[in-house]
Amino acid sequence: MRIQMREDRDCQVAAVIGSADVEASAALKEALLGAIEAGATRIVCDLSRTDFICSDALGVLITAYLKARMRGGFVRLAGPQDHLRDVLQTTRLDHLFDVYLDVGGAVTGRRS
Amino acid sequence: MPAHSRDTPSAYPWTEKVLPTHLEAIREAEPDVLARLEDMGYDEDSRFAVRLALEEALVNAMKHGNRMDPDRRVRLAYRVAPDRMEIRISDEGEGFNPVCVPDPTTDENLQRPCGRGIMLMRSYMDCVQYSCCGKEVYMLKYRTPPGGRTTP
Repeated sequence: MRIQMREDRDCQVAAVIGSADVEASAALKEALLGAIEAGATRIVCDLSRTDFICSDALGVLITAYLKARMRGGFVRLAGPQDHLRDVLQTTRLDHLFDVYLDVGGAVTGRRS
Repeated sequence: MPAHSRDTPSAYPWTEKVLPTHLEAIREAEPDVLARLEDMGYDEDSRFAVRLALEEALVNAMKHGNRMDPDRRVRLAYRVAPDRMEIRISDEGEGFNPVCVPDPTTDENLQRPCGRGIMLMRSYMDCVQYSCCGKEVYMLKYRTPPGGRTTP
């Protein structure tokens, strides 16, 4: 797995490319929590190229969500494909996170 | 460990591996299982489900069972038949009572960053059974029927 960070308008977009498995969770944690510690509060996690996610990685997303929210911001999820969408529904985390079809929607907060 | 040694001999024998308690061992063990599923014609949905359940069960065995003690081992056994695949995983920890694990999908637990592994295993496999006081888990997944999914 690799993570590409970029800015899009007033958001930090973290593209998670590959498998967010237990070994990758540490890197995901470092990227997301590192961005928040550095001052970012509006985070979009681009899951459009994420082919796998485990409970550890979900935990990282939740921790980032709570920290960003404490600072008045958010963590939004963008573009999860079928398997990840299934996992989010199964865990009911689609009730916790705002999930958007794509990064553009997540950055603007508009659902198409 | 293997309760499967009592099973009727099968044309689809169990493959057994002893893994060190190290998360890297999970990445090394999973491809063999997934390759066997692919060889047997299991579709992508089934392979995703098994990968997720296998990862969660191995992580549980290493982190919560063996508490990442490098002197302890995790035993993995699996077999793949045309209509079903089975996995047994055991650790050398103290065991636990799976009934006592809180439901992570309730509103009050939704923000907890941990505790979803067993729920995912139960959701994505057709059968998950613990034995040996929680030190061994057996999981079964039927092959996804054509045109239908057994996962949620």
